[in-house]
Amino acid sequence: MEAHFLTDSDLVSFLNWLEKRGDVYVTARDDDGNVGIKPYSETGDFAYPGVRAFQPLKPFFFSALEEVAEYPSTESPIKESKPFAIIGAAGCDLRAIEALDKVFLEGDFKDPFYEERRNKSLIIGIDCTEPLETCFCVLVGVKPYAEKGFDLGLVKIEGGYVVEVGSEKGKVVVGENKGLFKPATENHLSQRDGVRKKTTDMVEKQSKEFKPGGTWQSVMAKAYEDNAWSKNVETCVECGACLFICPTCQCFLLYDQKTKDKYKRLKMWDTCAYRSFARVAGGANPRDQLIERFKHRYYHKFDYFFKNYEFEACTGCGRCIVACPGEIDMRKVLKEICRS
Amino acid sequence: MSVVKNVYRPITAEILDVVTETPTIKTFTVGPKEDIGFKAGEFMELTVPGLGEAPFTPSSSPSVKDKIDFTIMNVGKVTDAIHHMDKGATVGVRGPFGAGYPLDAWKGKEILIVGGGVGGAPLRALFLALVERLDDFKRILYCYGAKTPEDLVYKELLMNKWPKLDPKKIEMRVTVDEGDSSWKGNVGVVTTVVKDLGMDLANSIGVVCGPPVMMKFGTFSLVELGFPHNAIYLSMEKNMSCGIGKCGHCMLGEFMVCQDGPVMTYDKVKDKPAIWE
Repeated sequence: MEAHFLTDSDLVSFLNWLEKRGDVYVTARDDDGNVGIKPYSETGDFAYPGVRAFQPLKPFFFSALEEVAEYPSTESPIKESKPFAIIGAAGCDLRAIEALDKVFLEGDFKDPFYEERRNKSLIIGIDCTEPLETCFCVLVGVKPYAEKGFDLGLVKIEGGYVVEVGSEKGKVVVGENKGLFKPATENHLSQRDGVRKKTTDMVEKQSKEFKPGGTWQSVMAKAYEDNAWSKNVETCVECGACLFICPTCQCFLLYDQKTKDKYKRLKMWDTCAYRSFARVAGGANPRDQLIERFKHRYYHKFDYFFKNYEFEACTGCGRCIVACPGEIDMRKVLKEICRS
Repeated sequence: MSVVKNVYRPITAEILDVVTETPTIKTFTVGPKEDIGFKAGEFMELTVPGLGEAPFTPSSSPSVKDKIDFTIMNVGKVTDAIHHMDKGATVGVRGPFGAGYPLDAWKGKEILIVGGGVGGAPLRALFLALVERLDDFKRILYCYGAKTPEDLVYKELLMNKWPKLDPKKIEMRVTVDEGDSSWKGNVGVVTTVVKDLGMDLANSIGVVCGPPVMMKFGTFSLVELGFPHNAIYLSMEKNMSCGIGKCGHCMLGEFMVCQDGPVMTYDKVKDKPAIWE
């Protein structure tokens, strides 16, 4: 992979250049030390976070609420969006984008709203150096560093960054800033490898106790009727937090409204945790019971999605563990259904 | 502004005619203002302006392009609003979506259709499509059931018109769960007439469409008769919303029924959770 070196001060110059090109969002730590994503115009700098942000990147491409059509009409155009760059996508975030790309850009129909914003995005990945206690990316085939799915990838090393080029889009951007990007030396690359090994070891170590006995599909194939599900669903309050915070959850609701002289159609996030989610008008409901909805989430992530796309729709980011008011830890649930 | 096609926009359509079929079911003929063809079994999302959409499989012949019939039972918010609409009212249509009946793959076969209630709607589109190319098929046996004689959808077609189309090739068996004084036909659920088929099962197709309980027992009876599982075509009724395989509402195992279905063979779905609900 093409790699360069960028000094700390040249990264600032590069961000300033990106800002002329469009909107720029960077990861930033708040006063409590939590990593979030903010407009670069607000932060004025970029502090290498070393970990994923608390919010997923999903809303950049798939809005929580947006207007998707106005009718009656013979055309309902897709609003053009401004180019934008996100700096600070962790390995799990990159995998999530890969998953959403499968859902929204493949098949007979693309989602044109997602596609427009995805085309306008420049994704800059980072390597994790300070994984959270809830991180388990290595259990779902994801690395705690920018392995793939990025335009550019940053690794913090002494005095600057190793910058890897992951796409044609990334190559063009580097080409337009030739003066800033220096060749990466063997020393730079070995520092990068050191960072990666250290973090991978950390995540491997904390994930060890949750490692499944086989592939997730082989586990799920035997687990549907397992007793451990009913015990684990006990503290679920059906709030949907785990699904709204999930970087790969794709579900949405189409919702129509009357405007002054027309009608508009909105697309808003929805979750399969809600009882009426799959119910049909005639009254039948394939997932009337909470436990069925609870299992559906796990099966979608670890089995159904894999059957369709050959990777899991769980990125191991652990956001759902942090968000759950019922203290349901996906790793522990999976461990229990595996064991029995 | 980009000119990318917006899959969420409904095409404007006018209600051209309304026929009351039963106390709870009406057929609406709509005229879309833009081209929107379909194949039998594919479905569309029908919009009641400002209220929302619901999925329906057209009940008219797919070869008629300028008018599309939707036979709709009043069961929910959208269907109730449609039932209160008259000729001249404006609705929206979006689609067609999903996989319909693969008629080309059925050439030379005998076709058993098992339907119930408003499930007769997609089956009418299928039946009309089959009849238009009847030379391609060996025989059609259509078994249809409703609760009472007044709940029979397309009664005139089922009882009088269709049996006369080609008596050598087309047989109709109509039944009701409960008869009345005027009813001379069979009394019993639809599975009571799904017997003595006289079919070469190795060279036959079974089609099942109806309410959940009927789907379940209709399918079981075909399995029991010896139909291969991959020759039983089901119309899966799930909460199809976006129609484009994204929104997740209609998921059945790993399938998005709006794209992978709604017509699916039994072998594909039989082990998925809650297929009959």
